[in-house]
Amino acid sequence: MRASEIPTAALVLGVNVTDHELTFNSLSDVLQDNVTPFVVLLQSKDCPGIKQLLQKLLTQLMGNSADIEFEEEDEQVTISHRKMNCSLNSLSGWYKMATKKPSSPKKKKTSSSTHWHSPPVIVIMKDLESFSASVLQEFIVISSGYVMDFPLVLIFGIATSPMIIHRLLSHSVSSLLCIELFQSMPCTEHLATVIDQLLLSTFFPFKLSGKALQVLITIFLYHDFSVKNFIKGLQLSVVEHFYTQPLSVLCCSLLESKKRIKNLSLAQCENLRHLPSFMRYVESQTPENQVKLLTSDVFLKERTEEFIEMLHSYHENYIPILKCLHLFSSILPKYPIGKQVRELYCACLERNIWETEDYNSAFLLLRMLAKDEIVATLQKCVAVLKPYSGKPLGSALQKLEEFLGQFQSLEENVSYMEDEETSPQKALQKKTDLYQLQKKLLEMKETRSAKKPTKFELLRNEVVDFIDGLVREYLPPPERFPLHEVIYFSAAGTLRRHLNAAPRVALHTALNNPASYLKCLESEGGSLSKTAPDICIAYKLHLECGRLINLYDWLEAFATVVCAADGSDSELSVDEITHARFIRAVSELELLGFVKPTKQKTDHVARLTWGGC
Amino acid sequence: HAKKGKKNTASNLVEEYFEAHSSSKVLTSDRTLQRLQTPKLDQETLHKLLEQTPSAFAVELQRINESYEALFFKWMLQMHLGFNIILFGLGSKRSLMENFRIAFLKDYIHIVVNGFFPSITVKSILNSITEEALDHAGSFRSPLDQIDFIVQKFRQDPSLELYLLIHNLDSQMLRGEKSQQILGQLASIPSIHLLASVDHINAPIMWDQTKQSLYNWLWYETTTFSSYAEETSYENSLLVKRSGALALSSLTHVLRSLTPNARGIFRLLAEYQLANKDNPSYTGLSFQDFYQQCREAFLVNSDLTLRAQLTEFRDHKLIRTKKGADGVEYLLIPLDLGTLTDFLEMEDKET
Repeated sequence: MRASEIPTAALVLGVNVTDHELTFNSLSDVLQDNVTPFVVLLQSKDCPGIKQLLQKLLTQLMGNSADIEFEEEDEQVTISHRKMNCSLNSLSGWYKMATKKPSSPKKKKTSSSTHWHSPPVIVIMKDLESFSASVLQEFIVISSGYVMDFPLVLIFGIATSPMIIHRLLSHSVSSLLCIELFQSMPCTEHLATVIDQLLLSTFFPFKLSGKALQVLITIFLYHDFSVKNFIKGLQLSVVEHFYTQPLSVLCCSLLESKKRIKNLSLAQCENLRHLPSFMRYVESQTPENQVKLLTSDVFLKERTEEFIEMLHSYHENYIPILKCLHLFSSILPKYPIGKQVRELYCACLERNIWETEDYNSAFLLLRMLAKDEIVATLQKCVAVLKPYSGKPLGSALQKLEEFLGQFQSLEENVSYMEDEETSPQKALQKKTDLYQLQKKLLEMKETRSAKKPTKFELLRNEVVDFIDGLVREYLPPPERFPLHEVIYFSAAGTLRRHLNAAPRVALHTALNNPASYLKCLESEGGSLSKTAPDICIAYKLHLECGRLINLYDWLEAFATVVCAADGSDSELSVDEITHARFIRAVSELELLGFVKPTKQKTDHVARLTWGGC
Repeated sequence: HAKKGKKNTASNLVEEYFEAHSSSKVLTSDRTLQRLQTPKLDQETLHKLLEQTPSAFAVELQRINESYEALFFKWMLQMHLGFNIILFGLGSKRSLMENFRIAFLKDYIHIVVNGFFPSITVKSILNSITEEALDHAGSFRSPLDQIDFIVQKFRQDPSLELYLLIHNLDSQMLRGEKSQQILGQLASIPSIHLLASVDHINAPIMWDQTKQSLYNWLWYETTTFSSYAEETSYENSLLVKRSGALALSSLTHVLRSLTPNARGIFRLLAEYQLANKDNPSYTGLSFQDFYQQCREAFLVNSDLTLRAQLTEFRDHKLIRTKKGADGVEYLLIPLDLGTLTDFLEMEDKET
């Protein structure tokens, strides 16, 4: 590194700009704690010119150091008020003054920055893409002159690719920088963490149904890649759930909900009886039980408590088993039931996963796994389930313990069966194509049907069957349980409407088919009728036009439609009222952005949309 | 199969676009609004006429409106939880938002912004916040400073709460990038709650991801079908062309305050322009020719007086000058022929 080079870190952060704020805040906190008290965050909107950039830099720097060394506050404040005089020269002068102090007797304050002879000043440019090139270039050129007395470090936040540095900065400028590239985690990984910590945890009683989760994931993957927006969606679903579902009071920890069940009011009991899942449950009961459930509140509360307990233990077992299934599915080639745990989770929430084709083909593949793969995965599964073996987690525990024992004995068995197993497998190992392999195996199975399967194969089948059994037992969709509505938020449509709205579609529907809002128009069908609102008539007529619309002809057509019932005297006498209504309709269409006035031809308007949908 | 169908419709749409824009030739008839008995309606008669038209769906619209009003509690809750509400759909949402304001915001500090008002600026919104809500009389050097001040104030005092109702967030004046950035920053302050409406079909284009996350919108469809009476009263670009009456009245108004000679000068120019109405290559009257004609009519006696007169016309936007290819200035009256003829007729009647 030459003396005049400015060390620069280029952070490639990905296109989800909305999440960067958090990243930068924690980055500046870490830097401030461990490296230097002088960290400045700059945003392109604050720096339209070099003057504003320097001003911002100066005020933030002096503010920062005032925060940390507040004994000298008075002095600092007076400096920061003198905004006019902001050049790098005064800045480096200030810096000398600021760094001189630590070397003075009071040493304790500088404990963090002692190993830096002089702590660097870190400038973080949050959104490099939006900075104007000239401002950036000027700043770099100026500050490179001072880099000897003023140890500046730049951090660029880049949303696209590091190419942008070279596109923004000319060669002579970028040669002043000593750039080191850093890559951030892809946003899908952040999403995986959020899902793992928030949704796949028993800590939060609130759950999303498969459809609602699917909507949120779709918005994430197809629209913005923003984890912040995903969390906003989660927040909205929490709000919606607790606002619309009267029984959501029971959506809390088990202890708390038991208390609340005892205090349920009469109306709430009635609500309980009206839940669809509860009604389904009642139908499956004996007649005397049905009567009791529907009449006795005490009995109802007892059962409710049982149901809630059932749901809680269902969740407790669900998550570890789901993670185990995911471990298996993620080693399969082509991932028939999903690579990410979120895909698997959605699939399991929506239907009985073992009834799907993908699941069956996945388990066919599992039955062909090599020994080392199966052992490694089983070990991982054991690790996942370990925390659940120690704690008494209710009814599910016995099953899990049994499960664990199976794993351990399997590992021992496998270790000394190794020799026998290799020979039949060897012939298969040359085949790389999966489908060939599958076919071959099927053939072999047929030809060797008389032959006794080896111990390994038996064991493998046993394990796979066992996993299958586990899945069938623990991963049924929540709809199977009575009272699942209390905990699961399922209004996927609401989420989509409020988060990912389509204003254009709404406008088009209202204009094209007003009957969907105004019930009295329903009998008219789809045809153009004079009873529809004026603006709808004008809109439908304008759909038939090309790029330009003659106002006079449009008006004439409008008058024809509006006066259709008045009889035969449609002799081109547009009365004033019709004219006025037309003017109103057209200016409304202009306000909505469908047409605009044009100078291309007298009394014409240009159409801004196309197609006659 | 379904996928294929979708693809087909998409490609059809694309084709339709290029079909519509393929040729510069316009296939429409040449008829103009001049053929109407009353080609021009002014704002006042328009209002009067529209008041006479009965509203056919009063009952239905009332029912729809009530269904939206049932959402008010939810909006209030969601605004308190840090979301901002945006309304979209056909029809003016003014009265709906006004009802919300009357029903819920009586006891809170709130500011109503009429986005459709043609002279609204972000600066005036910020000023009303600092002056009315924060009781701060001082002025600021730039909107950025002002927004910093507002953010700081609201952060310091958590008891401070402000409701901001913006009608037509997508209006001409507010749709700019800078204004939206500032409004977004306002909306992102936790104790400022924003309720806004948009109408333009391309309104969501205003926001990139950063701004959208600043706004933290919850979208609500409120199709009311009520007419945009207030909003379009300012949207006069289409009306002005037909209601040339406005331009005409202002023209006569200005001219009436001038000396007879000055009126004569203007009349001369207007007559010359009308005489050349069928000449497509007519670019206006050159100053020298005009001076010559005015002198002949004894309207001016020197080059200077004519120039002074023309400057006065130009200040009132009655004439426009254009440099021709030969560097000579040409004078034009920027009005359409119909208005000009009407003007001359009126002048004739008066004299």
